[in-house]
Amino acid sequence: MGRGVRRKAAAVFLSVFSVFSVFGALLCACGPLVERAPFPVRPDSVRPADLLGPYDGIVVDVDSDRPIAGATVAASWAFESGIGFHAPAGAREVVVETGADGRYAIPRLDDLPEGASARIRRFTLVVYHRGNVAWRSDRIFPGRSLRRDFSQRGARIRLDRWQTNLRHANHLVFLGGGAKVRAAAAWELQAAALELDGEQVPVTRPRMESTGGSTLVPLDISKLLSDDEVRGVTGYVGKFEDGKLTDLPTTEFYDSRHFKALGKPESYDVGLRVWRLGASASEVQYGKLMAALPDARTTDEVGDGSFRAKAGALGGLVFLVRERGVVVSLTCGAAQCPEPAQLTKLAKLVESRLPDLPPEPVRNMAPPLPEGVPSDSDGPATKPTPAPEVPEP
Amino acid sequence: MNRFLAATSGAAMVVTSIVAPAVAQAYDPATTHAGLTERAVLASELHRTLSRRLSKPLGLFEPVVLRRGDLAGGEARSLPGRLDALDPAGGYRPSPEGVAPALAWIVAGAVIAETPAERGQNLFYDPVRGNGLAQAGGLSDLGHGLRMLFDSGGLRGAATGTSFNLTGRPSTEWLAAPDNDVGLRAFYDQLEAAIAGELPGPRGTALARALLALGGTLAVLEDAGEPAHVRNDFRGAYLGVGSSSPFDRGSPFERYVADTYGRSGVPAAGAPVNRPTVMAYITAADRQGLADRTQRRFFSDGTLPEDGIVDRDTTGADVMRDARASLPYALPALPRLDLHGLGDKRYVYASAEAERGAAGRAGGAPGPGRRLLAYLRVPGRVRFFLDGGVYTDTARALLPEIGAYGAGLVDHLFRAEIHLEVTADAVAVSISGAHGDVRKGDVRLYAEDASGRRRPFATTLPASTATSLTIPAGTRRIAAVLHGEDDAGELVAVAEQPVL
Repeated sequence: MGRGVRRKAAAVFLSVFSVFSVFGALLCACGPLVERAPFPVRPDSVRPADLLGPYDGIVVDVDSDRPIAGATVAASWAFESGIGFHAPAGAREVVVETGADGRYAIPRLDDLPEGASARIRRFTLVVYHRGNVAWRSDRIFPGRSLRRDFSQRGARIRLDRWQTNLRHANHLVFLGGGAKVRAAAAWELQAAALELDGEQVPVTRPRMESTGGSTLVPLDISKLLSDDEVRGVTGYVGKFEDGKLTDLPTTEFYDSRHFKALGKPESYDVGLRVWRLGASASEVQYGKLMAALPDARTTDEVGDGSFRAKAGALGGLVFLVRERGVVVSLTCGAAQCPEPAQLTKLAKLVESRLPDLPPEPVRNMAPPLPEGVPSDSDGPATKPTPAPEVPEP
Repeated sequence: MNRFLAATSGAAMVVTSIVAPAVAQAYDPATTHAGLTERAVLASELHRTLSRRLSKPLGLFEPVVLRRGDLAGGEARSLPGRLDALDPAGGYRPSPEGVAPALAWIVAGAVIAETPAERGQNLFYDPVRGNGLAQAGGLSDLGHGLRMLFDSGGLRGAATGTSFNLTGRPSTEWLAAPDNDVGLRAFYDQLEAAIAGELPGPRGTALARALLALGGTLAVLEDAGEPAHVRNDFRGAYLGVGSSSPFDRGSPFERYVADTYGRSGVPAAGAPVNRPTVMAYITAADRQGLADRTQRRFFSDGTLPEDGIVDRDTTGADVMRDARASLPYALPALPRLDLHGLGDKRYVYASAEAERGAAGRAGGAPGPGRRLLAYLRVPGRVRFFLDGGVYTDTARALLPEIGAYGAGLVDHLFRAEIHLEVTADAVAVSISGAHGDVRKGDVRLYAEDASGRRRPFATTLPASTATSLTIPAGTRRIAAVLHGEDDAGELVAVAEQPVL
C-alpha cells in the first residue's frame, strides 16, 4: 500500500470522523426542543412562559366573578418529531378539577420525550364546566379567534355563560380535549346531533348554584311509572330490575326507564322514553319516530296523537302531548303485554303522571341569530331535511 | 495534505448543507390537517349518513369503540402506538378503552396518515409529470440522511424500511395501495366489515377502522392542496431551519398556517365539490383536480424564479426572460415586474386578480388581489421569495377550497344508498345514488338477533326498484351492504334498520 493511499484513507477517516463528531456533540448537547410559548409567564408580564410549566390559575364566572368549583381542567403537552416532515410523537395529559375556591394547579412536565428531533410543540389548557362556554388556551368560542389572555401562572379564566344562540355541535367540535373532557361534555351530544340534523334544539338556561357556578337539571321520569304499576296492568308476578335504556344519554330534555324482567327474556321487558322538547320540537320528534319506527300505524288513542309500531315480539306505542311539549314512547314485550289494551293502559297511566314531572326550566327555542351578534356561525349549514333519530329498540 | 483539506472541506459542506437555511410549504398534521378534515366532514352529509343509514342516532358524535384485541398482526403493532401519540387537546385521541366519537376517528385518521413523519414521502403528486416525490441525490439528500441517522426515528426507520431518501410513491398510487392502512382499500374493506361482521365488537372496530381510513384518504387529498406537494418540492420546502438545531427542520408556511389557524381556526369549507371519480378529486384530464388547480395557481418555496442579475448591461426584459426560463413549471406565469426602486418589496398578484389592479407596495393598504410571490430589488440582483403576506393569501385561498374538495369526496364515497323499508315480517330493499348501473356486486342482507349476532339471510341484485324479502324470526335489526362498482368506480353502500 502506497503512502498516498494511506494518506487518502486517513483523510476520508478524519472527514467522516469530523462529521460524526459534530453530530455527536450536537446530539449530546441538546434535549428535546422546546417551542417558545405563545403566552406570557404572568398576566402582567411580557416574558414568554416556560412551556414545561408549572401552571396555575383560577376559574371564575364572567358575570359574577365568583370562583367556579368542579370545572374540568385538562392540560396537555403535545410532542412531535421528524426532520422536514413533522408528526405527533406523544403527549402528556393532566386532568384536574377546580376546588371550592376555583383554583387549579398543573405540575411541571418532567417526563420529556427522547430523540434528536423530538420537540415539545404545544401546551394547551381546556376548561369545561356544564352551563358555561368551553374555554381553551389557544382559541376563543365562538368566533375561534386567537386567545391572548392566557398566562402560565396566575391565570384568571373567565367562563362565559352558555347563550341560546350558540350551537352545541360547533361547541363540541371546538372543545376538543381527551376522554375526561368528553365525558364531562357528553350531555351536549344529543343536542349537537339534533343541530346537525337541521333541528332547532330547545336550550335551557343554567340554574345558578350557591357557589356562583351554574348547572342544567337533567330530566327525571322516575315518577311516571313504577314496577308495581306495570305489574298491576299486566298481571306479571316476577321482579323487575330498574334502570335506564342505554342507547341515548339522559339530558335535560330526555330520559328513559328500562323495566328489565329478572331471569326472563326480553319479551318480558318494558321500556319508557320521554322527550320534553317544547311544542314545535316535540311535533318534529313525533314525526321522526313515526317515520323511522317499523310498521307504524296511527291509532290516536292517547294524548293529542299516537301511533303503534310492532315488530316481532315487541310492541310500541308513541304519543304526543302538545300542551306539555312531550313525546312518550312505550315499548312492551309480547309476553309482558299480550293484549294491546295493556299497552294503552300503561300509556294512559304515564300520560296522567306527566304533571308530576319536575318543573320545566326556563326554556327558549334557539332563535335566528340577530345581525351583528357574535356567533359560531362558521359551522356547517343546517341541513334542509331532518333525519330521524331512531333509538335502539 | 491537499487531499486531506479537500476531504475536510467536503465534510464541512455536508455540515453546511445540513444547517443551511431554506424555506418550505406543507401542512401540519396535528393542527392543519385535523382542522381541514373536521371542516370537510362537517360540510358533508356524513352526519346524516351515519344517523339515517347506519342507525347511529348521534351521527358524527356517536361513540365508536375500537377494541385493540380485534386488530390483526401488523395493525396491532403499529396502530395503537400511533393513536396513543395523538394530542388529547385536539379532541381526536381515543380514550384508553378505545372509545371516540365518529368525527374524532376520522380526524385521527387524517393525522396518523402522516405518522411516522416519513409517511409524508408518499403524499406528493406532480400532475404534470405524473409522478411522486423525486428529489434523491445531492448534498441535501446526504445531509438529510445523516440527520435521520442520528434521529431515533431515522434509526428506527432504517430498521423498518421506512427511511426516507427524498423519493416516494405518487399519492394517487399510495391512496389505493394495499399497504396504506388508512387508505381507500382499508376504507372499503373495513366499512363492509362494519356491516357484515358477525359480532358487535369486531363490527365496532371495523367501523372505527373505516373512519380512520376515511380520514387518511382525506389527508392525501388535502396534501394535493399544498403547493410543495404538487410541485415536487421537498428540498426547498422542507429542509428549512427552525432553530439552531440541525434536527429542527420545518416549514415556515406550515408554521404560519398552524400558528395562525391551529385546528379549530381553520376556515369553513366551501360548498362540496362534485367530481366524477375519486381520482378526479386529485387530478383529471379536465385539470380541475385539486392537485391540478394548486400546481398551476401557487408557487412553492423551492419552485420560485431564480434570483436575477441586474447590472448596467441587463435590461428589464433580460431579467424577465431569465426569471421565466428558470421556472420549473410553466404556471403560474410570471407577469411583468416593476424593477424600479431599490429596496422596495413588491408583489406579483395572481393573474385573475391582477386584472383588477397593478402590483402594490408591501405594508400599505390591502393589495388588489391574491399575492402570488414577493420580489425585492437589491444592489446587483432581484430576489424572489414568499413572505407572510403571500402565506396569508395562499392559506385564505386554499384552505376553504381544500375543505370543499374534502366534503365532496366524503359525499362521493357514500354516494350510493341502500333503502330498507321494514314492515311486519318483510323488508323491501332498493338502491339509489349510484352513478349509472351498479356492477360487480350484490346487496347482502344480515339479520341481527337480540344478542347482536348477525347472520346473512338474503342476497339480492342492486336495483332502484324495491325487492321484498322475508325477515327471519327473532330479528332485531336488519343490516345490508353492497360492495360493487358503478360508473364512478368502486363503491360500498351500507344500511341498518332497527326492527322494533
